[in-house]
Amino acid sequence: MAGINEAKYMLGESVRMLKSGKVSNLISVIIMGFSLLVLVIYILVTLNVSIIIEKGMEEMCVYVYLEDGVNNSITEDIREKLLEIESVRRVVFVSKDKALEKFREQLGKNSDILEELGANPLPDAFRIQMKPESNASVAMEKIAQAATGWKGVDDVRYGKKWVEKGEKLVKGFYMTGLALGLIVFLSVIFVISNTVRLSILSRRESVEIMKLVGATNMYIQVPFIIEGAIQGIVSSLLAMALLWGVCSFAGRYLPGLGFFRFEGVIGFIILCAFLGSIGSFVAIRKFLKR
Amino acid sequence: MLVYEIMPGEKRIIAGVYHLSKVLGRHFALQDINFQLANGEFVFLVGPSGAGKSTLLRMMYMDDIPDSGQVIMGAHVSTMMKRRNIPRLRRRIGIVFQDFRLIEDRNVFENVALAMKVAGIGITEIKHEMTNILTRVGLYHKRYEFPGALSGGEQQRVAIARAVANKPAVLLADEPTGNLDPMVTRGILELLFKINSGGTAVLMATHDVELVKSFGQRIIYLQDGKIVKDKEMLFRGNLRESISNSRVDHRAKKFTEHSIGEDYDGKRGR
Ligand SMILES: Nc1ncnc2c1ncn2[C@@H]1O[C@H](COP(=O)(O)OP(=O)(O)OP(=O)(O)O)[C@@H](O)[C@H]1O
Ligand SMILES: [Mg+2]
Repeated sequence: MAGINEAKYMLGESVRMLKSGKVSNLISVIIMGFSLLVLVIYILVTLNVSIIIEKGMEEMCVYVYLEDGVNNSITEDIREKLLEIESVRRVVFVSKDKALEKFREQLGKNSDILEELGANPLPDAFRIQMKPESNASVAMEKIAQAATGWKGVDDVRYGKKWVEKGEKLVKGFYMTGLALGLIVFLSVIFVISNTVRLSILSRRESVEIMKLVGATNMYIQVPFIIEGAIQGIVSSLLAMALLWGVCSFAGRYLPGLGFFRFEGVIGFIILCAFLGSIGSFVAIRKFLKR
Repeated sequence: MLVYEIMPGEKRIIAGVYHLSKVLGRHFALQDINFQLANGEFVFLVGPSGAGKSTLLRMMYMDDIPDSGQVIMGAHVSTMMKRRNIPRLRRRIGIVFQDFRLIEDRNVFENVALAMKVAGIGITEIKHEMTNILTRVGLYHKRYEFPGALSGGEQQRVAIARAVANKPAVLLADEPTGNLDPMVTRGILELLFKINSGGTAVLMATHDVELVKSFGQRIIYLQDGKIVKDKEMLFRGNLRESISNSRVDHRAKKFTEHSIGEDYDGKRGR
């Protein structure tokens, strides 16, 4: 176990390392910061798009129209049966009056024509929202098939074509996103491990000398681990600052563009500190094992 | 003052190499090497380039392991050596190379202090000892210089100071004068003798037979990985000239007296 003296010296070595490697550290941090920027941009875009998609999915509804003049108990029956279906998240009753009101709102100035009709021609209906994780097109199809035959149901409608298209789009987005994310992640790892490797190579002489005079692996490793952690923190801060700049610029054209929450930023910095130290540890370990 | 004889019973084996063989590439770099080093002994390891001198020393500071046979350094046995114990061995021996191996961005003080720091010695003690150590290698006035600002001879003195900073029982020197001109070589040799006269055993590898012959020390001749001659000496210790200079001898003795009669994995626990 390291004593108090060793601990002090290891810290001293870390400080010395950070000082002596000012320029190369700066370069490393900039390279790593920009690599991380690509990663966080990717994450942020994915998050924003998936929020949009989720909202879109929520809008996808099945309408179950009821026959004219169905009594309350049948209406309740239908509601209960709908709620029993697994993929259903919410069932909202839209009365014919409400529907008319909405229709009138949509028509705006031209709402006069409704007066010509006299009685309300619209039926009562249930609007059914699907659970976001359910396979919407299949689930909607099922509801449609089941509910069509029920007593009191006049018709079931949903935008079949649109839903299927939407789903394909989402799937495509997640697949390419995943592939892209993997590529981005791997290149970040590659860039960082190379940066660490170069930093070790530039210090191989002093590492060899330390081994010769009897330094333990721990004595040699600790400064590298600390340096890695600090590089991780600084480069993640840089990436976040750059991202913030990018976002406030892009936000002018894309209102509603969301940034990471505070916890997300902190989490990312901690993750980068961790990755930095692990990366350094693995690299120096490999070097010492030769 | 005369050279003193080894007293019966005083002689202890502090390093031994037994039936050591090592293959590098497709050839035996070393083949069935046997010799022992007693405490306080000064031994030249002589042989032409490629004879296996560096390889042998590397086995002794356990930078590599023999293919067969074993090396025993104090309590450390190569066949049973665990990786994590190597630093402990290195702190108890000193190693010097032809190319000095100083850290370029650290000054003389810091280079020498490194050996003591890795051994966990407190900074107060390091500062205290440093005055003695650097004075004895004649570089106290240059303690804040960086290696780049020193001559080859001075750099080697720093390297030697670092090697003996932890008062080792054995000093392994691989062609320590290989890069130095004859005048400076002489000075470095004298420094090594001085250190030896304080009780530290020295094993010095060199290809310069002529240089070595004149001193009357034990010489191990190495050729093609085999020991061809091992001239044991009757006398232990010092270069006659430096011995005759009792002032130098006295100082040198004080320099390394702590390591006399002490096993180098001893309780000092460095
Ligand atoms: N890594 C290696 N791979 C293959 N062969 C090696 C290796 N290192 C050394 N050798 C060979 O081992 C033999 C002994 O080499 P060594 O360096 O010990 O000689 P040396 O006596 O120190 O020579 P010099 O006086 O030139 O320093 C040589 O034939 C050399 O070519
Ligand atoms: Mg050699």
